[in-house]
Amino acid sequence: MYKCCILLLLLTASLAASAQKTEGVVEYRRITHWSKIYRRMTFLSQEQKDRITLREKNWEEDNKGEKMKLLFSPTQSLYTYSGDASESQDAGYSWRQSDLIMTRNFTGEHQTDIMEMLGKVYIVDDSLRTPVWKIGNQIKEVAGYICMKAETQDVIKGQTITAWFAQDIPVPAGPERLNGLPGLILEVDINDGDLEIVAQSVTFRSLTADELKVPKTKGKKISDAEYNDMLKKKIAESIAAHENPYWNIRY
Amino acid sequence: MKNLFLLAILCLLATGVYAQSATPPTRFTLQGRAVDTLGTALPSSTVMLLSPKDSVMVNFGRADEKGAFTFRNLKTGSYILTISFVGYIPYSQLIKAPAEATLDLGNLRMKPITKELFEVVVRTAKAPLTIKGDTIEYNAASFKVPPGSTVEDLLRKLPGVQVDQDGNIRAQGQAVNRVTVDGKQFFGSDPKLATKNLQADAITKVQVFNDKTEQSKLTGINDGKQEKTVNLQLKEEFKKGGFGKATVGAGPASNGISPRYDGRGNYNKFDSKQQLSAVLLGNNANQGGLSFNDYQDFRGSNAFNWNDNADFGFSSGNRFISFGDDNESLTIPISGGDNRGFSRNMAGGVNYNYDTKKTKLSTSYYFNQTRLQLDALRDQQRALTGSLLHTTDTSNQNNFGANHRVSLRFEKQLDSMQTLIVISNSRIGIGNNNLLSRQFINRQIGDNPEQPYTTSRTQNTSNSNQFATANTALYRLKFQKKGRSLALSATYQLNRNDGDLLLQAQNQFFQATTVNQMQQAINQAQASNLRSDQYKANALFVEPFAKKFYWETFYNFSLRYDEVDRDVLNVADSRRRVDSLSLYYKNNYVYNRLGSSVRYSYKGLNVSGGLAGQVFTLDGKFSADQSLPLQSIRRTYTTVVPNVGLNYDLKNNKYLYGSYEVGVQIPSSRDLQPVTINTNPLNVTKGNPTLLPSLNHEVSVGFSYFNPGSFINFWSNVYTTSYVNQIVYSQTIDRQTLVTTTMPENITGGRNTGTYLNFGFPLKKTKATLGLNAQLSAGRNLTRIREVNRVDGQEQELENRLNETKNQNYNVGARLELTPKDWLTFYANANIGVTNARYSINTSQNQTIYNNNFRGDLNLKFPGDIYLNTTFNYRSYVNDKLGFRQQIPILNTSLYHILGKAKRAEIRLSAYDLLNRNVFVNQYAGQNYTQTEQIQTLARYFLLSFTYNMRGVTAKMRRQDFY
Repeated sequence: MYKCCILLLLLTASLAASAQKTEGVVEYRRITHWSKIYRRMTFLSQEQKDRITLREKNWEEDNKGEKMKLLFSPTQSLYTYSGDASESQDAGYSWRQSDLIMTRNFTGEHQTDIMEMLGKVYIVDDSLRTPVWKIGNQIKEVAGYICMKAETQDVIKGQTITAWFAQDIPVPAGPERLNGLPGLILEVDINDGDLEIVAQSVTFRSLTADELKVPKTKGKKISDAEYNDMLKKKIAESIAAHENPYWNIRY
Repeated sequence: MKNLFLLAILCLLATGVYAQSATPPTRFTLQGRAVDTLGTALPSSTVMLLSPKDSVMVNFGRADEKGAFTFRNLKTGSYILTISFVGYIPYSQLIKAPAEATLDLGNLRMKPITKELFEVVVRTAKAPLTIKGDTIEYNAASFKVPPGSTVEDLLRKLPGVQVDQDGNIRAQGQAVNRVTVDGKQFFGSDPKLATKNLQADAITKVQVFNDKTEQSKLTGINDGKQEKTVNLQLKEEFKKGGFGKATVGAGPASNGISPRYDGRGNYNKFDSKQQLSAVLLGNNANQGGLSFNDYQDFRGSNAFNWNDNADFGFSSGNRFISFGDDNESLTIPISGGDNRGFSRNMAGGVNYNYDTKKTKLSTSYYFNQTRLQLDALRDQQRALTGSLLHTTDTSNQNNFGANHRVSLRFEKQLDSMQTLIVISNSRIGIGNNNLLSRQFINRQIGDNPEQPYTTSRTQNTSNSNQFATANTALYRLKFQKKGRSLALSATYQLNRNDGDLLLQAQNQFFQATTVNQMQQAINQAQASNLRSDQYKANALFVEPFAKKFYWETFYNFSLRYDEVDRDVLNVADSRRRVDSLSLYYKNNYVYNRLGSSVRYSYKGLNVSGGLAGQVFTLDGKFSADQSLPLQSIRRTYTTVVPNVGLNYDLKNNKYLYGSYEVGVQIPSSRDLQPVTINTNPLNVTKGNPTLLPSLNHEVSVGFSYFNPGSFINFWSNVYTTSYVNQIVYSQTIDRQTLVTTTMPENITGGRNTGTYLNFGFPLKKTKATLGLNAQLSAGRNLTRIREVNRVDGQEQELENRLNETKNQNYNVGARLELTPKDWLTFYANANIGVTNARYSINTSQNQTIYNNNFRGDLNLKFPGDIYLNTTFNYRSYVNDKLGFRQQIPILNTSLYHILGKAKRAEIRLSAYDLLNRNVFVNQYAGQNYTQTEQIQTLARYFLLSFTYNMRGVTAKMRRQDFY
């Protein structure tokens, strides 16, 4: 009976709220599983891969990842580090986080990503790119929302990206460089667990124009195609040099 | 998918057929209405159109408040219409292009998901439901089961799955006749074998689905029957398993040495929580211990543990208190020593780890023994005021050492705020050494020829038993307030060393004034029992007192109790006690420190400053024997030390750091004990019970830069260290016998300044890289030199000088890496080292020594999995002052073939030192002396070896990759 009530509440709550639930902030946790990524490095032997996995095991278990946030509205979105993420955790040392701001304008069909990588700040500025999404036949719950599964391929990095989007938040926004689904993307899984981005909470509130503005940043302006070429080249070079390219490129 | 595809083609055909009869519109409108089974509207449902070929989303929209939706201007073709609404099974329907301009699907009834299944979805975030048509299948994982549960226990937890008492499985009402693991049949056809034997925590996914029967798979004819199948997907990284490798090698007797052998093997067995590993090695090829990689494999997930330091201090920089340590390490030695002499080695161990998120346990036992034969020739020049001592020493040494090491590390998360770590490392060791040495000391005054003064023939036979243990408990507590934390630790360490020594020496002093004094025979039995107990307690409290600011306070307490009981008996004189060499000594060395610092930490900028006050109390008592009255020494020493640190993480991979630190070195037990050690009768050492701790003030600044785009990297640092109360071994030389007595003393005024520069860049990306480095340093070292005359046991000081040695060291190096092809790699190094030493006590002894090293390393891959590795190393040692020039070219080469399809075995022929020129050489210039040392070392030998590695053998074409 009790469970039944909860279910009812949940259903009605999501029903009632669905009307204005289109603007707010998602807090994510982004966890990179390095030992899994290393397993994909063709230049490592099985022995080396096993050694890395075993060595990193305890560390991986404690890996809390980094906090990210997504500001979303039906027309725009902005994705970056969450709050004081660069403040030290547990009174340890703080480190600098490289510049990262990803913005999408759905009505203007435009995207601007500020990314510090390979020793430079790049501003990838281009018209809105939407990945080719395949819709799956699975549902699950993320942060209190029932989500559907969608899948896309990143041919440059050789990744299968699984996204879970909320059935009842009709905003085409998402974390990282992902967008264009019928609902807000609340969870992303790259290559079956190499990288996980999972929403911890969704807060609905109205956003000011300032919050969604792209900050003025100095950097090299490039197009999406140029950005992809640069990644392609760097990945090939790193693999040839027996280095993990993802130490310097966002996975 | 395949069915869908067929369907799509059918649809296309169908539309094709239509096309002939009537011209269909090129665009059409699709509309419908999402309702539940009772016909009630489902407002704002998500409506998607997918391509039937690959499920790619083509278009999407939202239904209105009445559940109605419309897609206009759709291109003619087929689509899958999918509607989703929270709490309902997503609705899917194949849409064929209509003949009319508008296709109205009318009411589309969606079924609610059953309450039970919906809860499953909501409750278990990692267990998504898969929907196929009207029914729901689940890919279930992470249903909580207790540790050690089998898959059967896991299945019982899944809604819709029943497991009866006999282990028979029913899913969605149907019997499950097949269980597969990663899609493969597991141990025959009995599904219970897999579910009863596999551990639940090795599984990531459980898939229940309908599969064709074995019969239809075999015949290829679909008999229409379907079998319920459960597939268990294993966790990729922790599949239960084992790996291991073994190498055996042997070589013929040649070159005047006996046959060579080298064998090593290790085996690891693991599952998601436990790891068990064993390692064994034995050789007479100077290969001491575990390599770094072997060590990692042996210790597994516990190979490295950060945060185990229980001696808290300033958070920037290093450990600030170091305790002088004379003993062999308690932890497993990695890579056994330098290639000196001839050694026979054996080692082996077992390690067990148990890891869960909350509890981690690691235990190991490791045994190693080495028999080392050293034939050495040492040549030393020692500068005195106006004269020079020239010592040559020819020695034969045979050392045996064996150690048993036991370690335990236990970490427990008591709750989300508290962690407890217990670390215990112990070692039991035995050693016996035989030494035969012949020494000649000549003295040269001014430019006159050298005159013989003293010779000695010494034979030492010693045995020792050691026991050491270090035990630490470390407790960490985090408070509710973010950033506030407390850490407490306690440590107990014990070192025992009981040794016996038989010392026989014949000394001749040619310059003695009386005939009696010209000959000296020593025949002594020395027994010593050493014990050192250390108790430590530490506390650290961190308080965030403002945003981005932390206030850290720490307290350290340490008490070291040393006890020495040493009896020296004169064997020649009816084992009479030699009082001048016997000693009973006990000492308490107490250390208290209270420190505090403030740190700013934000966005990669960390700045800290602090002060610590420290008090050292030394309370020693000694006499020649316990029965005699004890003499007492008491000293207290108080200092205040500052600490400043800077770490700045700048944009674009630039990093700046700097610090001012004061390090404290507490004198070792050996340096404190007022024991006279005459194992080398011409070079006697004595302890100094009044020693104070040494302080070193160090200022350093560094900068590093890395450009991942261009692969250019640069790092540099500059440092200067000045010493207060540095522990320096002063020398007292008996002018008649030239016997030197060294004793540690506190001397202030030594310093050292240096810089390190490194620059690396690609000549051609991924093909050729060049690295350049330079290390420059200049130092000033002070040593007290006394010359005395002994007349009737009375010491008469003739000379007492503080020698100042100025050292300048220049090291420049270049490193070239060529990796042009998969089948060819080449690495080259060149290092040139120059040391200038200038002695204030005797400027005619100023000298320059050169240590140069050139190395090339070539790897070739031939067709048929045959590889060749050749290294050539050319070392050159020059000291013109001593007339010493030694060039050592070493050529090693090995040819190997990787065997088999699975590439698990390797056969290798190795030749070490093909030119037969190997000898160990060491040059030193410091204090007031220069020394060269040459040790006969294993030279040319051949080895034919065979390796089997369960994980496959990989050719080593590259130098160690950084990973």
